[in-house]
Amino acid sequence: MILYISKKIIYSFFVLLGTITLIFFLFNVLPGDPARMMLDKHEDSNQLELIKQKYGFDKPIYLQYFLYLNDVSPFSLHHNNDNSFTSLSSGKYQFYHLFNLSDYKIVFKIPYLRESFVRTNVSVFSILIETFKNTFILAITSISIALILGLFLGIISALYKDSFLDQFILFNSVLGMSLPSFFASILVAWFFGFLLHDYTGLNMTGSLYEVDDFGQGSYIQIKNLILPAFTLGIRPLSVIIQLCRNSLLEVLSLDFVRTAKAKGLGDMKVIFKHALTNSLNPVVTAVSGWFASMLAGAVFVEYIFAWNGIGKEIVDGLNKMDLPIVMGSVLMISIVFIIINILVDLIYVWLDPRIRLN
Amino acid sequence: MKDNKLLEFKNLVTEFHTEGNTIKAVNDISFCLNKGETIGIVGESGSGKSVTSLSAMRLIPNPPGIISGGEIIFHERTGRSIDLLKISEEEMRKFRGNDIAMIFQEPMTSLNPVFTCGDQVMEAIMLHQKLNKSKAEILTLELFEKVQLPDPKRIFSTYPHQISGGQKQRVMIAMAMSCQPSVLIADEPTTALDVTVQKTILELMQQLQAQNDMGIMFITHDLGVIAELADKVVVMYKGKIVEQGSVLEIFKNPKHPYTKGLLACRPPLDIRYKFLPTVSDFMNIDKDGEILDNGISVEDFTKNLAITKKERTENLEILFSKKPVLEIKNLKTWFPIKGGFFGKVSSHVKAVNDVSFDVYPGETLGLVGESGCGKTTIGRSIIRLEEATSGNIIYKGKDVCSMNADELRVFRKEVQIIFQDPYSSLNPRMTIGNAIMEPMQVHGILEDDIKRKLKVEELLLKVNLDPLHFNRYPHEFSGGQRQRIGIARALAVNPKFIICDESVSALDVSVQAQVLNLLNELKKEFELTYIFISHDLSVVKYMSDRMVVMQQGEIEEMGDADQIYNNPETEYTRKLIEAIPEGKIEDIEKHHKKKLSIK
Repeated sequence: MILYISKKIIYSFFVLLGTITLIFFLFNVLPGDPARMMLDKHEDSNQLELIKQKYGFDKPIYLQYFLYLNDVSPFSLHHNNDNSFTSLSSGKYQFYHLFNLSDYKIVFKIPYLRESFVRTNVSVFSILIETFKNTFILAITSISIALILGLFLGIISALYKDSFLDQFILFNSVLGMSLPSFFASILVAWFFGFLLHDYTGLNMTGSLYEVDDFGQGSYIQIKNLILPAFTLGIRPLSVIIQLCRNSLLEVLSLDFVRTAKAKGLGDMKVIFKHALTNSLNPVVTAVSGWFASMLAGAVFVEYIFAWNGIGKEIVDGLNKMDLPIVMGSVLMISIVFIIINILVDLIYVWLDPRIRLN
Repeated sequence: MKDNKLLEFKNLVTEFHTEGNTIKAVNDISFCLNKGETIGIVGESGSGKSVTSLSAMRLIPNPPGIISGGEIIFHERTGRSIDLLKISEEEMRKFRGNDIAMIFQEPMTSLNPVFTCGDQVMEAIMLHQKLNKSKAEILTLELFEKVQLPDPKRIFSTYPHQISGGQKQRVMIAMAMSCQPSVLIADEPTTALDVTVQKTILELMQQLQAQNDMGIMFITHDLGVIAELADKVVVMYKGKIVEQGSVLEIFKNPKHPYTKGLLACRPPLDIRYKFLPTVSDFMNIDKDGEILDNGISVEDFTKNLAITKKERTENLEILFSKKPVLEIKNLKTWFPIKGGFFGKVSSHVKAVNDVSFDVYPGETLGLVGESGCGKTTIGRSIIRLEEATSGNIIYKGKDVCSMNADELRVFRKEVQIIFQDPYSSLNPRMTIGNAIMEPMQVHGILEDDIKRKLKVEELLLKVNLDPLHFNRYPHEFSGGQRQRIGIARALAVNPKFIICDESVSALDVSVQAQVLNLLNELKKEFELTYIFISHDLSVVKYMSDRMVVMQQGEIEEMGDADQIYNNPETEYTRKLIEAIPEGKIEDIEKHHKKKLSIK
């Protein structure tokens, strides 16, 4: 088990390295000069030079690449010269000094994702933490709704197979599955946030933290979570219903279910104890996939409900050529995927003792 | 005598309703199980024997099944009699697992894979005896001891996949015995197990029966198995009881043609027949589907069937005077077990370990051994479905292991394999005609599909199937028919050498006889050479000229099939032979005396 996890972590290190390399070179061959974009109309050659120096654009691309790696890595080399690009005295790193190596200091630090091009002097790390928190809350709420409701409806559907109720649930789940999220968002926002606003009291748009009317600070707005979480949950809900139903029906026809009945167990015990535990694997696969992609940003839903999450941040970053934000987000999302994958493997083992981690 | 009654079936009818069709799976049957008695219910698949047992438990899946008539009367220990079909579902639950317990055919799938063996047995105890967990645990451990599981404490906390098939069946028996039932229904409990394991399980069931004075309903398709176990036999055919009586009566003097057929179609161990009698040899079916006796007795039919010793030795002499067509020299097929951080190979499973033998043209070589002995791996290694670790497989002078792609294609055309499971070795989305035609297309046999189709129709006729079935799908056929399709597919490329890997193991004895006869006819007609792989020594002995007995990847004994059977040289072979339930009348009488003396 421990061997398996450590193996996974080492593999994921290479996955991350690959991701960083790919996005770095991808964004560096994109047309457009970020230095010029930052200056906009106030361009003059001196300032351009300064900006280029600050962000390291004046260096050859392979050097830029290694400097970026050095910044992102938790263990890094830093030159003692204060004018050096990697100098620790600039105050941008939060580090713990380990030891010296000739002219360099080796430190352990919080990965430094640089600063936003657009919002000057705001670190990408702090932006991502803020937006990721919002996305995480949104994702976990909607996946919980989808999972609980999905299992419930799936079980009902399987138990009353071919009845009117089953057909009704299935019809709606097919409808939900085929509803694109940008359309669902607009529909839900308009219907519950606008038409029924007087009854629901919900707003069409809004993030988890709102700045109050006097601009005196932000306060939490739980009710803004309801509509986006529901919208985001529609498709996974539909998928979970169908998976749960089909897999439960399959398991209910297996021999050990008959054994359980032959023991004299009641229906509830046969279904929940013996059948359901054996039919959860496909559901876990689906839920983990959906959850991971929700954490990667539910772009449409976040955009339409003006939810200040990571998906919205990436789109904004791309629009404004804010490369550090985009690169930082991609990196963060890869880490999220890796963690969820490992967690899911562990859940499989917990659910089914036949699975060996290898 | 009257107070001895335990479970009475009176005019039971169980129907299955499928789209506009009603099938009477069990049609008006009556019999009675007494205390301490074992009734063997015999019949081929689809005869309604399993449905009968499930009806007694009221576990018929509904829809489509429904018990539409009759009574099943259970006489309780207290003297009260209840019609199980009249009580509510909730009351019925109190009987299930408590007074009436059941063991199923497939120990591999009958236990829930996600709970430990101990948990699953404890569950029944806690449910019916209302005991707390720690007391139930003590009882479970005692039960495990009783069913002779090695190291009960360890088995208690293992999951089903971690123990062998025989052990799983013991866990199932422990579960069934947990509340000391008065009726035990065993639905083919040993069909999926090796003969030696089967023998121990049957002995265990007899012991437990003697201890509890329990009534056992033993369901099987093989008369031999129940010969030494049952007191009474009920023979079922197409939902009806065609004959019932005491074991001795049935074995000595079978009256119904179907029973005669069932008794005669088992491969005999002491003599060799030119072909096996089949059920249809003893009966005619009229246009209403009624069975008519054609008046032939088993003795009359088999009188001139035996092959004399002289004929056999002459045949063998001709056979072994030729050069071997296949030579296997020091074959090793090992499977690596990977472990450690970098997935390094830490050890090997030695599935086949240093095996050598020759096969002569026109011969049938039998490979026999229990599950896991490596017999299937040999078969797969020969046609390189599994790569050999070392050793040589020389076919007609060429080493198979070093053949290039072209040579291999020619080789695979000449050497075909027929697999074990007729249910899963055919693609369910391909018509059987196309399935048979596919290898011809791959190997470029005949110019176009029109000619190939004609050839397929010819092959279907050859294996006794209707050529008009070309466009049907596998699910429309029975197990025996599917195995014939598999045989036709193997024959499609005009092979010279066929490996039959447990080709009849999944079939009923009555169907098995037909397929074995077919294989022998085809062998003669196409001058084929067979390697016949099976766990069933009686079948292998009947089919083969020489026999190889295997154990744990190595050859235990090799030689003339009759000689090995008559004078086994090793302990293991002797054990295998002794474990075969032969169903001889002397054995039945001996068993009866033993049982009476216990009482």
